[in-house]
Amino acid sequence: MAEFGIAAPSVKVAGGKPATATGKSLSVVALRKTYGDVVAVDEASMEIAAGEFVTFLGASGSGKTTTLMMIAGFCEPDSGTITVGDRDVTRLAPQKRNLGFVFQQYLLFPHMTVSENVAFPLTLRGVPKAEIRKRVGETLEIAGLSGFGGRKPRELSGGQQQRVALCRALVYRPPVILMDEPLGALDKKLRDQLQVEIKSIQQELGLTVIYVTHDQEEALVMSDRIAVMRNGLIEQFDTPRELFERPRTPFVADFLGAANFLPGRVEKHTDEHTLVRLDNSGGLLKARRHQLASGTEVKVAVQPGRLRACADDDGFCTGTVETATYVGTLVRAGVRIDGKEAPLLRLEVPAGRGPVAGERVGITADPDDVNLFAGEQGG
Amino acid sequence: MAALTATAPARPRKLLASRKTRVGILYALPVVVYLLVLFVYPIFSTLLLSLKNTDGSLTLHWYADALTGVNLSVLITTLRISAETALLSLVFGFLLANAISRLKPLWAGLAMLIVVVPHFISALVRTYGWIIMLGDKGLVNESLAGMSAPGAPYQLLYNELGVVIGTTSMMLPYTVLLLYGVMRGVDRRLLAAAASMGAGRVTIFRRVYLPLVAPGLASAGLLSFILSLGYYITPALMGGPNQTMIATLINQQVTKESQWNGAAAQGVILLLLTFAGLLLVKLVTSLGASRRKRSAS
Repeated sequence: MAEFGIAAPSVKVAGGKPATATGKSLSVVALRKTYGDVVAVDEASMEIAAGEFVTFLGASGSGKTTTLMMIAGFCEPDSGTITVGDRDVTRLAPQKRNLGFVFQQYLLFPHMTVSENVAFPLTLRGVPKAEIRKRVGETLEIAGLSGFGGRKPRELSGGQQQRVALCRALVYRPPVILMDEPLGALDKKLRDQLQVEIKSIQQELGLTVIYVTHDQEEALVMSDRIAVMRNGLIEQFDTPRELFERPRTPFVADFLGAANFLPGRVEKHTDEHTLVRLDNSGGLLKARRHQLASGTEVKVAVQPGRLRACADDDGFCTGTVETATYVGTLVRAGVRIDGKEAPLLRLEVPAGRGPVAGERVGITADPDDVNLFAGEQGG
Repeated sequence: MAALTATAPARPRKLLASRKTRVGILYALPVVVYLLVLFVYPIFSTLLLSLKNTDGSLTLHWYADALTGVNLSVLITTLRISAETALLSLVFGFLLANAISRLKPLWAGLAMLIVVVPHFISALVRTYGWIIMLGDKGLVNESLAGMSAPGAPYQLLYNELGVVIGTTSMMLPYTVLLLYGVMRGVDRRLLAAAASMGAGRVTIFRRVYLPLVAPGLASAGLLSFILSLGYYITPALMGGPNQTMIATLINQQVTKESQWNGAAAQGVILLLLTFAGLLLVKLVTSLGASRRKRSAS
């Protein structure tokens, strides 16, 4: 029974530090799932530490949800193992895994009140009534739902319903809580608010959370680490900063940073920099030092926010501003580059100093913000 | 809204949904007349008939008659057989509807067709079908004898078992249709959610699935109970003298004894029983709801 976490002391929240880390580590080794000829998840492996917030980020069909479902036990992997703490759960039924799950559609029991919903997993575990009442009360309070206990789910707003679902998943202190796009059905403002709430509850209680989303911003805001998935493969599993600043594949650079790509060829190296000759403009671009042989064909990737407009001949290329859209704190500019094929570069520059349409500009970037990808790697 | 009223003519138009009209009631007139003539009037004339003495004075003795002696035992038999029928058609209907609701849509549609199509055939024909099946030399007894079941042939007709088999089969399409509708409405992901929290199959069934289909069970049970109360052909043909039900009795009084007043009294009692059944279910469900509310707070 101890495994069900009943004995876990109630968490006293103080100063945002985990009083007791209730979460456990989770490891996934060579997990694979196919549907007919389609490989949904291909040899996914990862180690998730206790108390870590990990997000599976990807477009639909990337395998993120399938991976989550395999961890939850709702679908069986073809091969591979899933370990929670030091317990192999790969072949266990969902109800034997003792994990928490928050669904996009809330899935509260409509015939039970909020309190009964939250109490449900505790009653399954034979927790005494007085203890149940205490724990349900505490949990609802954490989620700001005190006083809602007697209501039916249908009497609550979407955001409140999802808070109840969250309470229901964490009231029994599962070692890992899985969340499948839990904020997907909510509007933007509520989503932003709940992101912060979920994150702070996770930190306060030391929960291990695996979170699935297709929303890059959400992933960046909430996660300790993000696994970017595509076509059943984990493209990169890293901290938000690493993913953003040092993407390992063009896909990651595009997906997270919406990077601009320019083809080029490595010309030479200096001690600190790699110099790339751009194909279309013939300009020379300075990047941070990459381990690439001279002459290698590369894709240069720079995020719109890391490009700067400068004097006409100070940059690695020149162009004409085609569009300049004011979006509050930023101006989004499209700059048509002079030269072959004349690609359009997207820039984001602080409003006020922004370029205007029709203006001639040079474009430059900090070498540290320039990522190079060799050849056709990862497309 | 401002833009809308600006372009509209002087008198601002009300939204269609909020417009109130006295003319609308006229649309209901044909139905109202129909119901008055063919429903309200007959019921009141029946009520009057049941309260009238042979000399035209008011009396309650037809009711006293209906609730004593043989008439009372017929009434009790009717209630018992209806309850048994409701229970059995609920059990079989639940199993059947549950199985069908798990099928793929195409197969489910086909299965529902198989359940419902027999209902298009006259009840008389179906009842005779059962009589052929259940007789001493019928398919059921022959097969049982073939398997050398001890005691075969069994008496499956002209007793209460026969009646209940018959009426249950007649009620089954109703219960299956009703329950299937409710079961299709249950979000099966709720069951997965319960499983994710650690609930086993039995717990999920008892604490999530059953409460969610309970309204359907109540209405299906009630429907088959009420329909059985007034059922005529099947009990009359498949039952023995001890299974006379109230509809049969009413028929006998009218056709054989020309005893309209007694028949009217029994008809009114049947109607009241039906109302009582409806009230009971209403009471039980609202009681359950308030109990849950109390335990929650």
